[in-house]
Amino acid sequence: MLELSMHILDIAQNSLAAGSTRVEIRIWENLPEDLLVIEVKDNGRGIPGEMLSRVMDPFVTSRTTRPVGLGLSLLKEAAERCEGCLEVHSEEGRGTKVVARFRLDHFDRAPLGDMGATMGILISGNPEVDFLYEHQVDGQTYGLETGEMRKILGPIGLDDPSVLRFVQQDIQTGLKKIGAATFPKIMEVLR
Amino acid sequence: MKLKDLAERLGWELKTRNVPLEAEVQTGYSSDLLSDVLANSIEGDLWVTRQTHLNIVAIAVMRDLSGILLANGAEPDPDTLEKAAEKMVPIFRTTLPTFEVVGRLYQLGVTGAR
Repeated sequence: MLELSMHILDIAQNSLAAGSTRVEIRIWENLPEDLLVIEVKDNGRGIPGEMLSRVMDPFVTSRTTRPVGLGLSLLKEAAERCEGCLEVHSEEGRGTKVVARFRLDHFDRAPLGDMGATMGILISGNPEVDFLYEHQVDGQTYGLETGEMRKILGPIGLDDPSVLRFVQQDIQTGLKKIGAATFPKIMEVLR
Repeated sequence: MKLKDLAERLGWELKTRNVPLEAEVQTGYSSDLLSDVLANSIEGDLWVTRQTHLNIVAIAVMRDLSGILLANGAEPDPDTLEKAAEKMVPIFRTTLPTFEVVGRLYQLGVTGAR
């Protein structure tokens, strides 16, 4: 996958397949520590202990563990390619937390991609699920929560096309404002 | 062969306007792993890839590449084009897959000699 937003979409779809009613997506960009962290946390049915050790094995997961798919092993590879790592924490019946760490300024780190489109697809395709998206860049935060949106929208559903447009635009302008999705040192070459 | 002649012969679409295309291209490199290109490309290489984000321009500048050819119909990101124009890095696009286009370049005398 060429963009992190595609990985995030994939992992969040695992969460939905596991029956989650709430999915929290958090991204931290830490410039001083040259670190980018992605966390996807859900309240789905979780992964049984004996399966948890195998979820990142592409040969096992693609065949036997249907709800998990190939996504985790691809994300693991993407993280390790740029000196990062992947952790999966899960408790049966409680939920799963996937944490991927990347070196922020690594040439082989995939760019963030279109988080507006990813969140738009997730929210409008699953209007009954609660989504949280929080993105932090050195202490500055952008956030979007469907619970709050529902209160404001009233009778308009989260699957209304106008909501999809709002989500995409709000995320794009919000991320720009906090200076997200950068490769600060690499960009110095282009000054 | 000159960059502009290669582009014309092989029917590539030029994505960056107002950049010089007179460079004589003798060698090329193909990879989608940016660190690999940084390590193994040489000055003057034409780089064939399907990565489209801004960092490809940084690589081209750092390695003094003659240009970037996006294979498989990949479209460059808008900020990639903007920076490429500013840094005078020619970016082309072809609908052919990498393997095909590299084969055609080889037939026209562009090799991977290091």
